[in-house]
Amino acid sequence: MAQSPELYDAILNGNAKKAHAVTQAAIDAGVLPMDLISETMVPAMDEVGRLFEAEEYFVPELLLAGRAMKGAMEILRPLLVAAGQKLAVRVIIGTVKGDLHDIGKNIVASMLEGSGFEVIDLGADVSPESFVAAVKEREPHIVCMSALLTVTMPAMKTTIDALTNAGVRTKVKVLIGGAPVTSQYAKEIGADGYSENASGAVSLVKNLLAVA
Amino acid sequence: MSAEFVRIRLEPLSVEVDVPSGALLVSSLADHGIEFPCGGTGLCGGCGVRVLAGSLPITEADRAAFPAKELAAGWRLACQARTHTPLVLECGQWHMDVLTDNAGLTGSGKRGLGIAIDLGTTTIAAQIVDMASGSVLGVETELNPQAHFGSDVMNRVRAALHGDDLTTIVRAALGQTVARLARGREAEIVEVILVGNTVMHHLFSGRSVAPLAAAPFESPYLGTQDFRPEDLGWSLPASCTVRFAHCLGGFVGSDILAGIVATGMVHSDALIALIDLGTNGEIAIGNRHGVVCASTAAGPAFEAGSIRMGMRAATGAISSVSLLAGQLHATVIGDAEPRGLCGSGLVDAVACGLATGAILPSGRVADGSKQFPVAGSVVLYQSDIRELQLAKGAIASGFKLLLKHLGAESPDLQAIHLAGAFGNYVQIESAIRIGLIDAPRSLVHAAGNTALRGAKMLLLAATEPTLPPIEHISLAADPAFQDEFANCMTFPTELNP
Repeated sequence: MAQSPELYDAILNGNAKKAHAVTQAAIDAGVLPMDLISETMVPAMDEVGRLFEAEEYFVPELLLAGRAMKGAMEILRPLLVAAGQKLAVRVIIGTVKGDLHDIGKNIVASMLEGSGFEVIDLGADVSPESFVAAVKEREPHIVCMSALLTVTMPAMKTTIDALTNAGVRTKVKVLIGGAPVTSQYAKEIGADGYSENASGAVSLVKNLLAVA
Repeated sequence: MSAEFVRIRLEPLSVEVDVPSGALLVSSLADHGIEFPCGGTGLCGGCGVRVLAGSLPITEADRAAFPAKELAAGWRLACQARTHTPLVLECGQWHMDVLTDNAGLTGSGKRGLGIAIDLGTTTIAAQIVDMASGSVLGVETELNPQAHFGSDVMNRVRAALHGDDLTTIVRAALGQTVARLARGREAEIVEVILVGNTVMHHLFSGRSVAPLAAAPFESPYLGTQDFRPEDLGWSLPASCTVRFAHCLGGFVGSDILAGIVATGMVHSDALIALIDLGTNGEIAIGNRHGVVCASTAAGPAFEAGSIRMGMRAATGAISSVSLLAGQLHATVIGDAEPRGLCGSGLVDAVACGLATGAILPSGRVADGSKQFPVAGSVVLYQSDIRELQLAKGAIASGFKLLLKHLGAESPDLQAIHLAGAFGNYVQIESAIRIGLIDAPRSLVHAAGNTALRGAKMLLLAATEPTLPPIEHISLAADPAFQDEFANCMTFPTELNP
């Protein structure tokens, strides 16, 4: 049962203002931040993913739900840090070098965050060196890369090679996605997984960590 | 052993081609205008042909591309097909009306004959002009032979980077076009001008497209490229000049430069907009004091390219849909059984669905069936509506952001010109209803081939026209882009009067 039906609805309806307000109200009423994440936000984002898979929701609804979820996280994140609590899984995500398209990447990032993972978003046009530096510094479990253009896809391989050369490739699982990307391509370049859409990316992370 | 050939007849135009037995049909069919939007990798289903006589085995890729019913009806992917026996194939995508230009132009002080060429990603349109009078003496149109390497500019860039020669084939094809236009009057040709997008410009000019393959998409080769006929292998007088007009930046090329000239933006005090509704949708807004322009990744939906039952404007295509007493009424090209939707029919169908409430402003089919029946067996699938939302969201958000950049709103514009084939055929009321264009109806006009018209104006101009400063805006780099794109993806609830 969701701890806060109001927050659940605010996320599904993409109402960022309301999500922010009801999260504050729940915290004031003594609900633990971790419980709010696991019992309300995670099920809400699961439902958003389900509705997208069922073709009921589309990109605008995903972006709005992501924004509402972020509104709640703005309140919860400092509380988690203050309490010394860490989310169990850390993900680094970015659009590869040469590619400025970040809407798909942003949706995946918010779905992952809404699923209770810590997400570090490196932005768009991220060089292999920046990915390597972030992996060394932040020690994530997962690295996610996105590309929209057929011509920028090769930067995914360059980045994986850079992780290998820096000796950190075995410390992370690498997932890739984006319109021109296929599971075949993921195999070819030695990535650990590929997902066609954002909710698939969440399941993929869960599956990879279950076996890891 | 010498290769054996089998004969294939292509309907409905009854052209016969002989292809090597057992070879992939890709190259033989590409020469006859069959397009391979994904570059022949069997992914997109865009090169579907129907076996009318003979048989083609069903491949794995065919199974992925077509439902069982269509496989049974004989639909196959031309890009994966090989045959040892004669075939008759129906090519629904074959018909292509290339838009040219009939606008009257006045001549200049120049003498002799000139040729203006609009080198499009998909089509080529060329006209020969009497420089003194401005009158058009001949027209040639054809498909861009590079279509073999994929339908959009990014696939062409990728092919060129892989080492395919896209320069020689396009120069050779245009050499033949020019020769046909010039026949019998070669000695009188004094000038040839070409316009096209940045990728066409670079590939024709033999410049590296590597700078166009990654952000920041800044190429050092954007300038006007001059050639001598012998550089290109064209049979024209040695004194004839050939130039490819300069690009504006990013993916916005001289086709938009020509459009800016053709729409009168360069002389106007009032703001004028030009929207080219192609796969790479380009937008320019401005007046004689300055112009801003941008390109948007609209994708192929306006050409019905990513639509399940989408097709070219050929026999059997639903070209328009209207509401009569609350019922959908479809017009089918050739008065035939409806087989699919072309771009204009797609936009109409969605506009009608919004009007009846069968399609919600969010894009969802209201009854949850994920299908919107249009006419006969032709339906619009939920995913098709999503494709249209992405395409129109890209154009509409680009238009809004450029207006914002100018501190203007659409009613401030004097005119909005829709360029290109789709812009010419789409019903403007429907385009406004789905939110593709957010502007008063009275401002919006179909402008035809503004690239070709502008190229002729550049050709005829006694001196190089003085252009206002033209600023290229990178939409993806605008922090407001994502929100605007998402907003513009939904459909307007109702039309403002």
